[in-house]
Amino acid sequence: MDLKNELQKIVGAGNVLDSPEILEEYSTDNGIYPPGMPTVVVKAGKSEDVAKVINLANKNSTPVIPVSSGVHFQGCTIPYQGGIVLDLSNLNKILEIDPPNRRVRIEPGVTWGQITDELAKENIRVISPLLPHADRSVITDYLEREAPVVPKYEFAEPLMTYEIVWPNGEVFRTGSASVPGYPDSPAKGTNPAGPGLDFYRLPQGAQGTMGVINWANLKLEYLPKINKIFFMPFEDINAAIEPIYKIPRVHIGQEFFLLNHVDLALILAKQWPDDYDRLSDILPSWTLILTISGPPRRPEERIEYEKEALFDLKKQYFQDMPILEALPGVPGGGRELIHMLRKPWPKEEVYWKNRLSGACQSLFFIARPEDAPSFYEKVVDEAPKYGYPLEDLGVYLQPIEQSRVCHLEFNMFYDPDDPIEREKIRIMNRELAQDLLDMGAIFTRPYGDLADMVYEKATSYTTALKRVKKMFDPNNIMNPGRLCF
Amino acid sequence: MGIPQEAYKAMEDIVGSQYITDDQVIAQAYVGRLGHGKDTGIDLDMNVPPAVIVLPRTTKEVQGILKIAHRYKINYVPASSFWISHCAPKRPDSLLLDLKRMNDLEIDEENMCAICGPGVIFSQLQEEAIKRGMYTTTPGGGSQVSVVANHINWGLSPLNYRNGVPGRRVLGGEWVLPDGELLRIGSMSTTDDPFWGEGPGPDLRGLLRGWIGWFGAMGVVTKLAVKLLPFHDEGLKPVGISPHTTLQFPEKKRIRWYNFVMPTRESLVECMYDIGKAEIAAALTKVPQQWRYIAKAGCREDFWEGWNTDEARNSINNIHICRVMLVGYASEEQLEYEERVLMDIMDSYGAKLGRTRQSDNSWIKNADSATMWMMTGAYTSVQVTVDTVDCGVKGGEGLAREKPAFTPPLMDDYGEPGWFQVSEIGHMGYIEFLQYWDPNPDQENLYKKDEWNYIKVPTLDAEWGMFNAFNIYASPMNLTGKAYGPECRKWFEKVKAEFDPDKLSNDPIPWDVDEYVDKVDWVNKEDYINRDWSKG
Amino acid sequence: MPEEYVKFDLTDMKNFEYDMKRCVRCKGCKWVDHIYMPGATYSTRCPSEKRYLFDSFSAWGRLRLALSLLNGRIEFNDRFVEAIYKCQLCGACDAGCKRNLDLEIGSALESLRIKCVADGFGPMPEHKAIAEKIEKEHNVFGGPADNRDKWAKGIQTDDKAEFVYFVGCYGSYKMQGIPKATANILKATGQSFKIMGSDEYCCGYPLYSTGQIEKAKKVAQHNIDTIAKSGAKTVITACAECYKTLKVDYPKMFNKSTSDMGYQVIHLVEFVADQMEKGTIKFKNNIDMRVTYHDACNLARMSEPWVYWEGKRKLYGITEPTAPRRKGTHGVYHQPRNILKAIPGIDYVDMIRIRENAWCCGAGGGVAEAFPEFAQWSAEERLEEVDEVGAAALITACPRCKDNFSKAINASGDNIKVMDIAEMINEAIK
Repeated sequence: MDLKNELQKIVGAGNVLDSPEILEEYSTDNGIYPPGMPTVVVKAGKSEDVAKVINLANKNSTPVIPVSSGVHFQGCTIPYQGGIVLDLSNLNKILEIDPPNRRVRIEPGVTWGQITDELAKENIRVISPLLPHADRSVITDYLEREAPVVPKYEFAEPLMTYEIVWPNGEVFRTGSASVPGYPDSPAKGTNPAGPGLDFYRLPQGAQGTMGVINWANLKLEYLPKINKIFFMPFEDINAAIEPIYKIPRVHIGQEFFLLNHVDLALILAKQWPDDYDRLSDILPSWTLILTISGPPRRPEERIEYEKEALFDLKKQYFQDMPILEALPGVPGGGRELIHMLRKPWPKEEVYWKNRLSGACQSLFFIARPEDAPSFYEKVVDEAPKYGYPLEDLGVYLQPIEQSRVCHLEFNMFYDPDDPIEREKIRIMNRELAQDLLDMGAIFTRPYGDLADMVYEKATSYTTALKRVKKMFDPNNIMNPGRLCF
Repeated sequence: MGIPQEAYKAMEDIVGSQYITDDQVIAQAYVGRLGHGKDTGIDLDMNVPPAVIVLPRTTKEVQGILKIAHRYKINYVPASSFWISHCAPKRPDSLLLDLKRMNDLEIDEENMCAICGPGVIFSQLQEEAIKRGMYTTTPGGGSQVSVVANHINWGLSPLNYRNGVPGRRVLGGEWVLPDGELLRIGSMSTTDDPFWGEGPGPDLRGLLRGWIGWFGAMGVVTKLAVKLLPFHDEGLKPVGISPHTTLQFPEKKRIRWYNFVMPTRESLVECMYDIGKAEIAAALTKVPQQWRYIAKAGCREDFWEGWNTDEARNSINNIHICRVMLVGYASEEQLEYEERVLMDIMDSYGAKLGRTRQSDNSWIKNADSATMWMMTGAYTSVQVTVDTVDCGVKGGEGLAREKPAFTPPLMDDYGEPGWFQVSEIGHMGYIEFLQYWDPNPDQENLYKKDEWNYIKVPTLDAEWGMFNAFNIYASPMNLTGKAYGPECRKWFEKVKAEFDPDKLSNDPIPWDVDEYVDKVDWVNKEDYINRDWSKG
Repeated sequence: MPEEYVKFDLTDMKNFEYDMKRCVRCKGCKWVDHIYMPGATYSTRCPSEKRYLFDSFSAWGRLRLALSLLNGRIEFNDRFVEAIYKCQLCGACDAGCKRNLDLEIGSALESLRIKCVADGFGPMPEHKAIAEKIEKEHNVFGGPADNRDKWAKGIQTDDKAEFVYFVGCYGSYKMQGIPKATANILKATGQSFKIMGSDEYCCGYPLYSTGQIEKAKKVAQHNIDTIAKSGAKTVITACAECYKTLKVDYPKMFNKSTSDMGYQVIHLVEFVADQMEKGTIKFKNNIDMRVTYHDACNLARMSEPWVYWEGKRKLYGITEPTAPRRKGTHGVYHQPRNILKAIPGIDYVDMIRIRENAWCCGAGGGVAEAFPEFAQWSAEERLEEVDEVGAAALITACPRCKDNFSKAINASGDNIKVMDIAEMINEAIK
């Protein structure tokens, strides 16, 4: 019996797809990497299907490429060794919303677009990365360690516990969801650690190589009703560093990040391209954005003391730094950002990173905020060598964990339909990454071309990873060729 | 018999003769009887003196020692502050790595982390952090425990309320694997800087730590960066003379304790949820009644004079104290705001604000874990659940109902449901259920304290669906290891087989309880050990 | 139901078996009180454990060795004896333990030494040599007994005085400036006193602290009788070792309490602090100097009165009647500091580890005699602390501390000045 028949037995004939059009659809993504054709696409209809498909794949040593999101940018779902694309987009149930314990349990196909509206009904939210694509899977984004746009929580990781099908086909529940009888148990799955080991860490940053999540518990926070937004403009990135360190350290604010004029204009432009052209001219080179929000109790008073603390910091440390409540020349002063930041990018609009040229390659890594200017200078020095116009370079700095560290992202825009431009961006991305890696950039999720250079440098880590991978995936079926295995 | 002379000589060449000994008198100073788990069956029946003690100074020395141990198949036990019974040798002819010399401490002030050797303890780190306007969370294990060991185990503290459990705060570092090979984790995987915890791809911190770590059964962590947390810069002044020493809070309203007497336990739990949702406070905890009596007592006899009263007996069901710490991280105005919100919440439950001293002697810098042994001479925590607040309280109340069948030999705590508190600003609750007993062997049915600890509590937890992963290590793997995950024990076995196939790193951890209960006659193996947990 | 009869009799180690068994290895005996923890450095208070590292050189390790000895798992041998005596008996462990657990660490360690001697394995040869000198000439130096009061030539004493000044061997034979200063101070306040002359024997600290209890008892009995014969009710001393020995160890040796001894022991600093309150002493001279004070263990955390106890230990370790615990809370801490702060011109600064957390000078417990290198090492660590706080002079209230610090300074060439507090007070009142 062939693979297709076996798969049909598991998920039903309608959910096993292998027409050339469909296969081609799954052979590429919105990024710079070349296509790779799957053998077959399987749409899982229920979580039990997942383990069955993986067990079957193990028997046949067939690669399995799990896909949850409707949109991808980094090539990690392109099946370069053929095999089964396991499409989880139909596993899109919000299984539980538990406001008292501030958790939500969802399936991997649940998207930002879906969850945000549902939770907003109860005045709650999952803290998101910066303006995620509405079709992105919530679970995938946090498995892939996207940085939350709110750095105030030291315990920022929103993922708590999950049920996972390990690559060997065994179903396992992590953290406090590992209790017998879950979810009909007193333990609700709010503790990620354990049982015995921090199993929840292993599938993170793994690009689907360490198994498939059936469902996950994520943290909920309140959705503030009363907010203020402040803009701190800078002409020199160096001047932004001290405020970046100091502001979250006094436990104030919600969303907090730095954008250069290109990225901010891409986000704020309403009429394309006129607004963008005007905004990218008038916006300051860098804008540090901070929202202050009131919790459910005494919200105005909270905003008041946080605002006072912000201005006290200014008085004490950065008197020359303007703190604006509206961006001059921007319709509405840019204040609508508050509301934009609590939702994914509108589905009906071209995704903000794709507005300028149709596609965007993001080169990002973890760094100390104090090192951000030298990384920026390096990119500024190098980009023109690749013919990339600096006026089109987007930069985004996301403080993490009260600005202890940051996610630093360079956005390079290109025309996806121009193969030469795409290749140029690919080369630039790879070579810049090598330069930045040499300077100490921490690439925790090296996609595509970056994988080899990073894993090669991480000698002992890579060796250990391979040993771990072998334990969990003895036949190396999960998304092979992706990381260092 | 000891270890082969060639192996001893090779290790001596690595560390120098003054840092290694096989003297059996010195070895007696290292025999078990330590910290958590002291005087339990395992401690008394399995712990033996080491054959050789070695005191390495550097990662390279540890690597050398482990490679020699690997070559000569010597069982070894790494230990930092020796505060848990797992860290005592249980095999004859074991090598003990006493890591006290590995005490380097470096603070990265700008990026809020501390790079620690395993010999660094919490009060040292806390002082260095506070000097720089930051803090760490001194755990229930005590101020004297190793920062590294505790972060890779569990480290629960009321101060986790705002910051979550320390496992979140493990960053980069150096981990010498059981065979002596060095694994650099986190940002140290590609740089010499340990400021970030994730390495490329799957996060190997998942193997390093967990709920609740390996206790030396997976090599030695020789260097680890841990996060520090932003505090304010108003000093906390140490005052008093031992034993009445405390940290005096500043006059400025930047940090305050509040004690509320709640009308019922239910209202205590509900107010904890409300405080978390309001995103206020820096610590939120309910302490067991006996701790309040300890705090008031000048000595053990004072305690018992207070405890042996109807007032104490009735206090369990009648007095419900919610202890809250507020910190004005940003300003005095923050604390005043939080105080108003706190009062709103407490008023809505009819809570009464009691008196409390504006100082701290048990959490910020000092945690008197040793005081746990003061009442009866022996203590262990039998359940350490972290999930929701509600789950924790239900577990504590359930165990309190079952405990009388084991009392005596356990101390009668009148149905106290344990210590519970909130972490991650209300996302999690934490219960610690405690047992005390007199370890003097001249008592009837003393084995019941082990039955309660190793078998009964973990079984009840698994049956009820409580998350007591502490018992992954304090109960048979064939019980909890089967029930949780399910079958997390299999992964332990696989990981161990991959990285330590000869089981040299602190054998038989984490299968020590399995070995122990195999030998005793009071365990009904059919009911517990051989049970098929997949059937519930 | 467990129940045993025990007493604070140090000649039977079994009386402290409970304490040995109940040690949980929290290392409160090693670390500075965590509330006062100064950070990554100066964080411990046990010289022995810091110097020799292996647990057998710590209080928790020695308790386990003692227990193993009691249970027959080990016997005395050279390494064991070395571990026992490489310890100043400075009391840091005892005060540390009593913050949490109330275990009788100090008594258990003393009891171990007594057994070590009784079984013929202790003390160290150097301790035996000193014992011989004490036996022969009644002082630790072996100087002629008749020279004991040579320092007092020209000093006016009063045989009818209520105060008897117990000078001690160091004052009598090696550091005569201290007794002379003490006499001047007493005179300045109008306090008459007498001395015991050659009838004053070594207090017995070098004997008792090394486990030679029978020999210690002989000199103790002699001194007790002499004090009684003198009719004095108050014994004043400027030596911390003599102070603690007369106040604490004498009653301990004879299973009595301090209050049963028929005399009161005070240290010069207690006397002067009292006179300051009464206004009978005036510091006239300006002494421009940044100084710090070293808490001599025997005057500080170990100086609380001894209360003999015997009774039952019942379930949960409850004692009946309640056993008294000396926690080091009421040591002589404030008086010397208040004195120094009151001297005009003095810029007083405390060291990092003070009072119950102080680091021992290194000389005590027979260490200076048997392991001089270890004693010097301990002193050097303390002198680093003096440097750390920027003090020009180190003041102590114990001639033995002064002697040990002076040796370390001579060896290192450091320019820190070491003075006894009697000498400093004497300078101030001149």
